[in-house]
Amino acid sequence: MDIRVLHPSDIPHVQQTNITNLPENYFCKYYLYHALSWPQLSYVAVDVSRPKKTPYDAPKIVGYVLAKMEEDPADGIQHGHITSLSVMRTHRRLGLAEKLMRQSQRAMFETYNAVYVSLHVRVSNVAALALYRDTLGFEVKGIEAKYYADGEDAYSMHRDLGYLREEALDDSDDEDTAGQDEGGE
Amino acid sequence: MAQNNQVLPSKEQTLFRHLVQNYESKQYKKGLKAAEQILRKHPNHGDTQAMKALILSAQGKSDEAFELCRAALKNAMKSHVCWHVYGLLYRGQRNYEEALKAYRFALKLDPDSVQIQRDLAMLQIQMRDYEGYVQSRRAMLTARPGFRQNWTALAIALHLSGDLVGAEDVLHRYEETLRQQPSRSDMEHADAVLYKNMIIAERGDHEKALEHINSIMRTALDKTAVMEMRAEYLLKLDRKEEAKEAYTKLLKRNPEHRAYYEGLERALGLDRSNGDDHEKLGEMYHGWAMQSDRIDAARRIPLDFKQGDAFRSHADKYLRRMFKKGVPSTFANMKQLYSEPAKKAAVQELVEGYLSEEPQVNGGAEKTEETNGSVDGSHKAEAKPKTDPSITWQISVNYYLAQHYNYYLCRDLAKAEQYIDKTISLNPSKTDYTYHMTRARILKHRGNVSSASTAMNEAREMDLKDRYINTKCAKYQLRNHQHTDAISTMGLFTRKEAVGGPLGDLLDMQCVWFITEDGESHLRQNHLALALKRFRAVYDIFVAWEDDQFDFHSFSLRKGMIRAYVDMIRWEDRLREHPFFTRAALSAVRILCMLHDNPELAKGNLQNGESAENAAERKKAAKKAKREAEKAAEAEKKAKAEKATAKADEGGEVKKEDVDPEGKEGLKVAAEKPLEEAMKYLQPLLELSGGHVDGQIAGFEVYFRRKKYLPALRCLLAAQRIDPEHPKSHEQSLKLRHALGNLSEPLPEKAKQVTDSEFLSKQPK
Amino acid sequence: DAPDVLPANAEDRKAAQAMSSLDTKGDEDAAPKKEIDLKALNDAMKNLGVGQESKASTAAAKKEDAPKKLVKVDQADVTLLVDQLDMSKAKATELLRAHDADAVKAMTAWVTAAV
Repeated sequence: MDIRVLHPSDIPHVQQTNITNLPENYFCKYYLYHALSWPQLSYVAVDVSRPKKTPYDAPKIVGYVLAKMEEDPADGIQHGHITSLSVMRTHRRLGLAEKLMRQSQRAMFETYNAVYVSLHVRVSNVAALALYRDTLGFEVKGIEAKYYADGEDAYSMHRDLGYLREEALDDSDDEDTAGQDEGGE
Repeated sequence: MAQNNQVLPSKEQTLFRHLVQNYESKQYKKGLKAAEQILRKHPNHGDTQAMKALILSAQGKSDEAFELCRAALKNAMKSHVCWHVYGLLYRGQRNYEEALKAYRFALKLDPDSVQIQRDLAMLQIQMRDYEGYVQSRRAMLTARPGFRQNWTALAIALHLSGDLVGAEDVLHRYEETLRQQPSRSDMEHADAVLYKNMIIAERGDHEKALEHINSIMRTALDKTAVMEMRAEYLLKLDRKEEAKEAYTKLLKRNPEHRAYYEGLERALGLDRSNGDDHEKLGEMYHGWAMQSDRIDAARRIPLDFKQGDAFRSHADKYLRRMFKKGVPSTFANMKQLYSEPAKKAAVQELVEGYLSEEPQVNGGAEKTEETNGSVDGSHKAEAKPKTDPSITWQISVNYYLAQHYNYYLCRDLAKAEQYIDKTISLNPSKTDYTYHMTRARILKHRGNVSSASTAMNEAREMDLKDRYINTKCAKYQLRNHQHTDAISTMGLFTRKEAVGGPLGDLLDMQCVWFITEDGESHLRQNHLALALKRFRAVYDIFVAWEDDQFDFHSFSLRKGMIRAYVDMIRWEDRLREHPFFTRAALSAVRILCMLHDNPELAKGNLQNGESAENAAERKKAAKKAKREAEKAAEAEKKAKAEKATAKADEGGEVKKEDVDPEGKEGLKVAAEKPLEEAMKYLQPLLELSGGHVDGQIAGFEVYFRRKKYLPALRCLLAAQRIDPEHPKSHEQSLKLRHALGNLSEPLPEKAKQVTDSEFLSKQPK
Repeated sequence: DAPDVLPANAEDRKAAQAMSSLDTKGDEDAAPKKEIDLKALNDAMKNLGVGQESKASTAAAKKEDAPKKLVKVDQADVTLLVDQLDMSKAKATELLRAHDADAVKAMTAWVTAAV
């Protein structure tokens, strides 16, 4: 698997991954809007070990995170927002969601000085809730009533990005420390 | 404004200003009211008529709008407003050539108009008229030099037109006008600086690019990009020690990015194709694997280059690790190696060996919990019970072998079935459908599409909240020609309020895979009308994707994210090279050739070679389609009440009812000039995916029917170069030879020389 | 009437708002950024004009460089290529120019070109 930033040319497949996995779908232009407004924040996981069929095979996207900065934060604090995150059912247990999120979060912090990142999750989606809370360190901030088109409520969740400030400090203290484990934390 | 009767009294002038404002704020009803109020007293006032036309067109009444605008132009030939509107109306219809002419005329009448100049420029870049765009941008910069975006825009225009030096120069000049450094958080500045760096590098001056990037390292906001650019320049300049450091830093930030590993290999002077380097490469990857237990890339990549015993022992470690964790994508991740027979055999032997091992020997696998599961909001998983590690191991091994024997390079479907049944019997979860899904896949390979579809539906029923399995199920239903079932399956997750039911939603949401699969399914059953309708829908989605860039020509300048914008432009230039397009286009071309050969197909009730059974099925489908259409109309009424959703009313247009749900009218229209229609699909194939053999084969078929023998020959020669063994080329070659020998009217002498020397003289006698 | 009726749920509303703001007019009437040195700006503009001319002429020269300068193309050949190769007039002319105005050479090259 290859984890890298999303390019506009990835959009058709990201869109396909999204509509394959999730009930919340968007047209191409909304993805473009993300990719052209905050090009550093969205990442894809690409299955690079697929045998090629033609010279024009598009990269096979097995997971993505579509992210943005909140344009007019109600609380006045600069923060990022996860619009959509999904990993193909066939590519679970590789920690892809976490890896995608970590890259996106760091870019939010480095490029836009984001203080925290927010997202919404369906109240019925126990598995996703567990991922965000237990693996990624998000906290439930509240419930937004009828957030989704079908009337379901959403948990509003936040993750403080202060840990990145500390990592950055560590880095500048000792630029060449080898063996810092980004993934472990 | 010229004509006297075109000057309004002051009261109406005020009204007219309101009218313009109303239009701009999309208050169309108010706008129309204002327009009518003016027109009551001044029925021939061109500008008012034009503004009214603009509103009508925004409401989707484009015929009426055009008529009115033409009347307006008659009344006020010299009004820039009328010409501007005329251009906007053409733009709305995607008739860019005419729009361009109208804008140019408008601009001639009012050379200082910022708006007309802006609209003209946007159209020029959309059409890739670089020369015109450079000119417009220069004029816009001259008019308003105080705005950075005008400088950046000119640089973009020059860059895209191929003048890299000019582009760099413009960016540089602007920087020199800055009295002080812009604030650190000025994104527009930060990206413009990186854009300049990108241009320097594209010029090939990596020395200067490196120097420049070093000077902005500390203040740059897009850290990842800056580090990547720097590493790349160091490598290009052969400064290996520094390049090594740079890639090491990048890998620490993202140890799953393949390009960084490749950079590091090159910085270390290592070459995968050189056996002598394998040991050092192995050490390098081992070092990275040791950094964290979570890194996959550093563990997987060595399998690509290692050989023999080294491969075997590495594969052993790798597979054991994955099987303990229970990673379901392990096979997908390994199968690429199967193109090397020795590796395929080694892997098979290893995994079959695991079967006889005592499960506990591999213990130490911590109890795994499904934490990284469905991030997809569709999946409502109850907290899973912890799985016994020995069960996880056994499931993994059996599941791997099932997929292994299902793979075409080592297919043994009886074995595959045996392993998948074993896997299923071991699976403790009632909701984890993964293995049932593979079982359906094996059945499909057995050639039993009907039981495959049934099996996939059973898998779906294990987890009704999961859209992924729902999607798979619909796909298998289509493979089994269950269109109605597939639509209702998809309908479980589409938006309830969508106009046109589930299919309407899937079209809106540009769900290309479903539309294509549905079309192919219809094509297999000779339902040409519906099949062509679907492929046409895919074609239209690509038109929409091409159109999507329009707003970004101005938006991106405001946002200042120039590198991403240029990236988009380059993608859009090659948009239709995407396999999604190729697949639909090839089928469409096939249908259109069939229509050319047998025009009756467009009329006949019983279609070409159709069995009675199929006819019954088709009638059923037709009835169903009619019901769908009625439902769609109903839904639309409802939707109107609530007003359309974000997606339905993009562009302010209310979605119209599909007047031809079965595609019969469309088929008739296409059958009038089938080869002309085929060219629309074919041209992008040949221009953008020329190396795709199927495109060349299809190209021959179309050109041959059009009696364009030289282009047909070109396709034939290209196909033979790409795939000398392709079964179709021989047949096409005979066809061409026969045709050239029996021309009713000979080719012009010069053309004949070409077919003689490049084709006929090279044929076996 | 409201300019745009927004969808009822929050998830769609966000997308709709973002989309409808895409084509809003820019800050064309806003004041230029204060960091700009206006005198420097004027100089830059002047220089830009100068640079433009020389650049334009070199760019033009470069363009002329590639195909031979004064290849005269027979209109009958253009018509032949347009018909036989199914291409536009402009493309046919360009193709002929690139092959010494020799129609057979041009068509042969096109038919056998690697795609």
